[in-house]
Amino acid sequence: MFIGVTGYNHESSAALVDRNGVLIDFCREESLSRIKGDKSFPRRSINKLLDSNNLKINNIERVAFYERPLSAFLHIVKEASLHMPRSLDLLTHQFRNFNRSSVSCFLDFAKFFKGLETKLIYSDHHLSHTLTALAYSNSKKDICSVVVDGFGDRSTASISQIVDPTEINELWECPYPVSLGLFYSSITDYLGFAINEGEYKVMGLASYGDSNSKLAKLVRGLMDWDSSSNKMISDMSYFDYHISTSNSFSSKLKDLLGPARNPFDQLIPGDIDFQRCANIARGAQDLTIYLLRKIFTHAHKITGSRRFLFSGGVSMNSSSIDHLAQMPFVDEIIIPPNPGDAGCAIGAAFYCHLKSNSFSDIKISKPSFFPSLKEKRNDELLTEQIIFNEFTFLERREENAFLKAAELISKGEIIGTVLSSSETGPRALGNRSLLCDGKNKYAVNRLNTVIKNRSPFRPTAPAMRYEIAKKFYKLRPEIIDCYKSMSATCQCLEDNISLEFPTTHVDGTARIQIVKNNSSLDKLLSMLEPMGIEILANSSLNVSGDPTCFDLVDGLMVCSRTKLSYLLTDLGLLKRKT
Amino acid sequence: MKKIISELPIFYETAHAELASALEMLAACKRTNSPRQALGYFMHAKDEYNHARSFFKMLSVRGKRASIKIARDFRFKPPSLITKGYISKQGFLIEKMKLKDFIAFVYTNELLAKSSFENILTLVGRRTEEGAEISSIMSDELRHHGMAKKHFLNHYPALQPWQLMIYRIRETINNKGRKIYDANLKFLDRLLTPLYKTMAYLAGTIAKKLNLNEFQRKDKNLMNISSNSIL
Repeated sequence: MFIGVTGYNHESSAALVDRNGVLIDFCREESLSRIKGDKSFPRRSINKLLDSNNLKINNIERVAFYERPLSAFLHIVKEASLHMPRSLDLLTHQFRNFNRSSVSCFLDFAKFFKGLETKLIYSDHHLSHTLTALAYSNSKKDICSVVVDGFGDRSTASISQIVDPTEINELWECPYPVSLGLFYSSITDYLGFAINEGEYKVMGLASYGDSNSKLAKLVRGLMDWDSSSNKMISDMSYFDYHISTSNSFSSKLKDLLGPARNPFDQLIPGDIDFQRCANIARGAQDLTIYLLRKIFTHAHKITGSRRFLFSGGVSMNSSSIDHLAQMPFVDEIIIPPNPGDAGCAIGAAFYCHLKSNSFSDIKISKPSFFPSLKEKRNDELLTEQIIFNEFTFLERREENAFLKAAELISKGEIIGTVLSSSETGPRALGNRSLLCDGKNKYAVNRLNTVIKNRSPFRPTAPAMRYEIAKKFYKLRPEIIDCYKSMSATCQCLEDNISLEFPTTHVDGTARIQIVKNNSSLDKLLSMLEPMGIEILANSSLNVSGDPTCFDLVDGLMVCSRTKLSYLLTDLGLLKRKT
Repeated sequence: MKKIISELPIFYETAHAELASALEMLAACKRTNSPRQALGYFMHAKDEYNHARSFFKMLSVRGKRASIKIARDFRFKPPSLITKGYISKQGFLIEKMKLKDFIAFVYTNELLAKSSFENILTLVGRRTEEGAEISSIMSDELRHHGMAKKHFLNHYPALQPWQLMIYRIRETINNKGRKIYDANLKFLDRLLTPLYKTMAYLAGTIAKKLNLNEFQRKDKNLMNISSNSIL
């Protein structure tokens, strides 16, 4: 057995892969600690992997950390040192927190899992991303990997050619500090949203913006692609992320775009500052699409490949994927369901597997979207009193519970689900979801505002079967797998009724989910379709600011804290007592 | 503006503390083997979540009135629950403490929390809407204290009320100790910052000369690079 681990910089997680190259289990630390974006050493996740799979430390052959810790540390320090004395605060912070950085990974293993530290190896950050994406590809040979994120352990974007899993040649890289990911995060910060959390809000906001506005054009000019040297270039004087611990953008950016937004002010369409912010977001989105197209074009040029793996935080920018798929040389783009740093644990675990197999017998099985095993505990007994006190059972038998849930949805109700294993990635695909009729404006609005308390400019995703999706949306075969994990948006068909759906965004796009056969959503839709409901609105089951629910207790807690009345669980369909 | 600047940290820190309590209770709920205890912890966690929401709301009201520069410093980032020490890096209290000590901790700290909310109540005014909300939170804390006490005496009947009093005194001293430690740490930090900066400057001067180009990966097979190297 092999373990892959991420942490310290972004969300931490752990993954378990067996000798046959099968992803057995995966867990994000935030799921267990309930702290969104938890980046501490994934002690709980590793414990869960060991406990749920009846493993002892001596059953683990190797453990891989997802990046080279000293490299990450030194690249930041080196860049900051070039800007002294302005960067002195960042340098002081880096040196004082040296023991808390990923460099301490070895010591943390020695402290919490004595014996594992001797089995610890290190993978390159972007290689971990690549191997994660490769696992989800049907073919493991002759494919190009594009990784674009904030910062890895040396670069911020890279292109590699995968001859086979034993030969992954890096052909191009974008060195720190020029970074498309950190540019987008800086704009996120400028617009008053939290970094690593609010990027998807910027993406939603961008749809309200005007590409021809002055502000959008100004933002669009902050970075560019140099065609002669094939490099991303950026005027770093607008950004401070490479020299400061607290500011991601400089006062020069404020001089250019006006004052940053107060994070406590609500952004509501029609408000005075809304259009200004939307135009800035539009500029950031346009620039992202432009640079991604350039990177992919260059990737095609140097590798000749027409099939691409795309990972790293920037690949979560789902509205840019449709644009990439339209490029003439693209036959296929594969994005893993968890393309950010948390998903790198999967790549790191496969790295161990590949390194241990002496390259003689390479097998990597395509992982499930729901690999997390349940913790070994008796949920029925544990929640007995909570359910007795706070809920009533509407149906206990699985078939009846699903049918009753379908009936409630058809009557305009919202249902939460805590079914089977949880999803790998940040998007709820049905097992930890909030669901309602995707064409019912009242229900979707209630889900968004009353239960989720979401910003009014953010749309909800529609989930449906492939045959239904074809009727309403312009699907692109190049990214068909992306629709299964909600990794790409698509346009509504022209003059189609889908333009009126409450799940359609203001720009006529939707981040659709094509449900997988035999999944929970597939089962629910099979019962809903005879009732005339073919599309579900699907949002993650959580309260704003919390991680998505992991277990039944979390689901019951969301129900108790919000106005959600129904919860479909493995124990049956529950109704909250009023 | 001065009033807002002085109030922001109070609501910011209190909201963190209440959210951390909710997470501690949720963790306790998931670890117990008793369905009755699970219910108790669950209801307690729910209350603490609601308290955190109230304090975040009060923070938001003040944040809107603050300058953008100041408001940005009071944005809530969930991982700060750990970096600020509200949740220990070593794990939740229930993972580290014996059950008896955990309940004694809850028993004592709920009462201490109630008394610290008295100060916030004075700050916002008793007859305001926020005052009513804080009063209600204080009643909750008192109820939690009572429940912990009842639980404690039910499960450890041999214990006398005076022994609970000792727990309370011990925890009060610990809390005061933590405050003194924090204050000293902050003082020491201010004192040593120039030294840290000088050291960082010297280290930075050396770092400037580092040539990291040697570690570039261009045209290399990433799978052939040593897996034991941290660089």
